[in-house]
Amino acid sequence: MIARCLAGALLGFPLAATLIALSLRLLPHGGAAFLIPAMILFFPLWIALMAGTYMFRSGARAWMVLGLANAAAFLVLWATRSAGFP
Amino acid sequence: MKASTIRTYQTVHTWTGLLAGFALFVAFYAGALTVFHNDIATWQNPPWRSAADAGVPVHTLIDRLTATQPAAKDNFGIVLPTDASHAAYAFWQDKDDERFASASQLHAPRAEAGENELADFIYALHDSLGLPVIGLTLMGIVSVLYGLALVSGFLMHLPQLVSSLFAIRAGRNLKRLWQDAHNAIGVISLPFHIIFSITGALFCLLGLTLATLNTVAFDGKLYSAFAQATQTTPTITASGTPAVMLSPEVLLERARATALTLGVTTFEPDYMHFVHYGDYNAVAEVRGLSQHTLGTFGTIVLSARDGRVLRTFAGDAYSLNGISYAALYGLHFGSFGGRTVQWLYFILGLAGAFLFYSGNLLWIESRRKRRHLDQPQRTRVMARATIGVFLGTCLGISGAFAATWIAVRLGADAGLPQRITCYGLFLAACVYACIRPIAKATVELLMATAALTIVVAVADLISNAGAFAQAWTPLTPSVLGVDLTGIALSIVFACFARATARRARTGNAHSVWALPAAS
Repeated sequence: MIARCLAGALLGFPLAATLIALSLRLLPHGGAAFLIPAMILFFPLWIALMAGTYMFRSGARAWMVLGLANAAAFLVLWATRSAGFP
Repeated sequence: MKASTIRTYQTVHTWTGLLAGFALFVAFYAGALTVFHNDIATWQNPPWRSAADAGVPVHTLIDRLTATQPAAKDNFGIVLPTDASHAAYAFWQDKDDERFASASQLHAPRAEAGENELADFIYALHDSLGLPVIGLTLMGIVSVLYGLALVSGFLMHLPQLVSSLFAIRAGRNLKRLWQDAHNAIGVISLPFHIIFSITGALFCLLGLTLATLNTVAFDGKLYSAFAQATQTTPTITASGTPAVMLSPEVLLERARATALTLGVTTFEPDYMHFVHYGDYNAVAEVRGLSQHTLGTFGTIVLSARDGRVLRTFAGDAYSLNGISYAALYGLHFGSFGGRTVQWLYFILGLAGAFLFYSGNLLWIESRRKRRHLDQPQRTRVMARATIGVFLGTCLGISGAFAATWIAVRLGADAGLPQRITCYGLFLAACVYACIRPIAKATVELLMATAALTIVVAVADLISNAGAFAQAWTPLTPSVLGVDLTGIALSIVFACFARATARRARTGNAHSVWALPAAS
């Protein structure tokens, strides 16, 4: 229970942040026109990830899956920057 | 969903609810009153007993500000009065400190916006429990926990949601009745609660969130992008050539006329902002409140020298960013739809406070030992904490009204008496709830709150009777409304007290709410 709480709170935060940054980056002009709606979506997304984490069978699984998701999201974020997205 | 998953969400709902519930009760009770912020300000200083400096025109305030505080010229704001019996005040930055002053206070400016205003004190209780520095961050964390409690509460009731949403099973099983009431209020007002959880977290944690996201995911570019999306002030440099400024009254009128051409039906200016006042390039921004639109707060940017419209952020001229930013405030404060929406927010706010109260009661009731006179320690502690904090908040806020009422009539500053009375009564209620038998403490605290509330309201009605009879101003209904709402709330408190007393006497004896049997 505690392990899943921590996984959701600690790994959900950067995952929500990168998902939002990534979706903005793929929009025209770096998503400048959609920045505030995207910021508004940050807390609901983080909370949804925290709530979703309790669906995992165990704490270890939650840490592993969310950790991998984070790594993948950061990797894609880095790749899009290298590919020349603003 | 598997039964075990539902049980997990039940645990999450219980713990997030308990952790956040105490602070949320304060936020919702004070927040329901904050909906009528301006009416409470009018109640404190009605037209027949104006605050100091009321009636000083805005141009006089600006003239005195630029004469006594020349450094403020580069960047200052003017907060326009909420009504004719309040004073406009200037706001500027003195090095790192914020300064506030109405026309006669410019030589010794204040460090706080409204230190004697009851309405501002209640707002501070609402947004930060009145705690400096940490209060706002704390309430931000509470908002996130609240969001988690909403999601988990919704998920755990999902399987039987549709079938039992409108079921209020009043019968011998009191816990079932409380559970039904808790679920019905929670689900029906869910959209309203989602708004507060999201906007509350954003308002309280904006600085921290931007700073973190900026480093974590945005390569340090978030600050400039955010400023670009939300800032209304154009970047200008002073020319160095002095120029004569238009009077603020002319600028306000021009801003209003401009806003009305952009498709909003009303535009009531509440704030002005000047950059490089007295310079050829000086800029004036006018912020105003519009009704019946998501972009509740609009801003018109003008040249302060000739009144040319430089930029517009209102009605049709809003970008998606601008309108979503403005909508956050409109939706949180319920300022978008006149009196109807204000009353709706007031009632939903009180219903929200009830949601947290009933949540705690359910926790206690579901841990009740059947057919045991001795209830476990934890349910007794929770019962004492619940009535101490929740009823103490109501008593403390009524006390703040009483202290303000007396201080104003003695001609004293109301700021300190408000705080001492409010926190004093709150702490006293907590101590009282710890030492009295629980049922007695509940009844007595409810009765004390009802009595204090009705005494202040009736005293205010009587003392204002002459003024009501003499001249009926457009502000009179505000004063009358606050008093009558006070009387209505005191009747509600008295009803709660009566119900609690009856339950203590005739309800199940094996409960923390029962009177201990005479032995």
